[in-house]
Amino acid sequence: MTTTADPTGLTGGVRARGLVRTYGTRRALSGIDLDLGPGVTGLLGRNGAGKTTLLRCLATDLEATLGELSVLGLDPERSGERTAIRRRLGYLPQNPSFYPHFTAFGLLDYMAVLKERGGRRERHEEVRRALRGVDLYDRRHTRIRRLSGGMRQRLGLAAALLGDPRLLLLDEPTIGLDPEQRIRFRDLVSELAVHSTVLLSTHQIEDVAALCRRVLVLDQGRMIFDGAPAELVARARGRVWEQGARPPAGVTSWRLADGRYRVLGPAESDVPDAVDRVPVEPSLEDAYLLLTGSVPR
Amino acid sequence: MSWHLTHDQLHRYATHTADDVTAMSAEAHLTHCTHCRDRLPTDEAWLEHSWANLLDVVDRPRPSPLERLLGTLGLREGTAKLLAATPALYRAWLVAMVIVLATTLILAHEIPRGTLLFSFTVPVIPLAGVALAYGRGVDPAHSLASVTPWAGPRLLLLRTCAVLAPALTLCTVASALMPSVATAYEAVFWLLPALAMVAGCLILGRWLHLSVAGGVIGGGWLLLMAMFALMEGADPFQLFSPLAQAGWATALALLAAIVALRMRTA
Repeated sequence: MTTTADPTGLTGGVRARGLVRTYGTRRALSGIDLDLGPGVTGLLGRNGAGKTTLLRCLATDLEATLGELSVLGLDPERSGERTAIRRRLGYLPQNPSFYPHFTAFGLLDYMAVLKERGGRRERHEEVRRALRGVDLYDRRHTRIRRLSGGMRQRLGLAAALLGDPRLLLLDEPTIGLDPEQRIRFRDLVSELAVHSTVLLSTHQIEDVAALCRRVLVLDQGRMIFDGAPAELVARARGRVWEQGARPPAGVTSWRLADGRYRVLGPAESDVPDAVDRVPVEPSLEDAYLLLTGSVPR
Repeated sequence: MSWHLTHDQLHRYATHTADDVTAMSAEAHLTHCTHCRDRLPTDEAWLEHSWANLLDVVDRPRPSPLERLLGTLGLREGTAKLLAATPALYRAWLVAMVIVLATTLILAHEIPRGTLLFSFTVPVIPLAGVALAYGRGVDPAHSLASVTPWAGPRLLLLRTCAVLAPALTLCTVASALMPSVATAYEAVFWLLPALAMVAGCLILGRWLHLSVAGGVIGGGWLLLMAMFALMEGADPFQLFSPLAQAGWATALALLAAIVALRMRTA
């Protein structure tokens, strides 16, 4: 694998060309091209599409098998530059686990030491700031084993926020968060994204709709969409409607609370025998489902 | 209060230029006089700094006994924190190590081939500790820690030291209690092979999960032992003979050089 100097000038971002990652004979990533700059970018895809592998490659946790990669303008394959990347990186892995006997403060303090964050007082101040950011300050001396799942998720997020990261990689960050916390999370990430690059991998499409000005869709290790959420929605226009009768087999649809059916299809005219058919404005979720063809019947 | 500090007295007190008598007198007066306290110039930066220091003293978590001990031994606060946070498995390993050493030591005293069993178990104990000290699956917070600047060889080496310190001490004590051991040299007969195996494990850890690397090296050691035990005319204790020790020392020097090189380039 070779890496070139960053020609795009994305010193705060990511540049990948032809990124490939294999596990044995299986290709988890197949030739990903990517440029990321400041702002929030959503990463969508089915389970096993390669989202976590991509995030781990960008987070310097996995080496790419082939391709060029530059993170924050540095080469993650060179040890000194990898360490420099890690100093400015925030990474929340999927289902993070912790030392259960640690307190929330103790865990973040440990992580801050690992991130080489200053002297004790400055480090503690940063830990307090991160705990306040995720609304866990009042629980700072509670042992992690006594925190709820949502609180642990927020603690993982706080760990990712330590060190004023220029690149924030979040893998399913809103799992287990209640609606209030999700709003708070969105606010926090939006603020960070003014100066930092944020890549948000999620199945919560409403988070992408609320936060991201750009969305990437992965399918079987390939990038099948890279553009604005509105652009993805526009692709679905005229292909989403509601009707009273259950559509025939083979057409993606689901039953709504009022008993009607929401139908996604190649084109309205391709679905025969529709009764009370009403075209509706597609949501980002509709558009994503149409793109990946992953609606359960 | 019938009198108040002059502007000059207040200024000299606040800037620490007053003589001792004046400063003590001013301080005693300020304790009781709100009027003069209000006139005392406020240094916002100093106040903020002092408050942050005070908050940190009140609010910071109490260090664990191990952290305090490591601090007393002169380790930096951050390093002590990293060592004290070594996975819970590490504590389980310490307990297992004591049990294995005690059991094999008793067998060495009680059964005819017990000495052989002890001699071949002891070098593997530090290896087992190192193999379980770092990596995905053995460290609960590894997924968070693995992308920090400390992750990789630096943290691995630190944890290796944390494992080796108690392991080498306990193995030396147990060896000194062996029936056939009379001198200090005889009590560390296992040291060079043990360290060579640990270094080999650290090198293999570049390509394999550390616990797998430990398993490979430990398996190789068992195979070597079995070969010497089964070969006609061969004595397994030849693996600890002076000639073999020279071989172990050479292997250790080479492997340690590779580990050091890897540390420099990693």
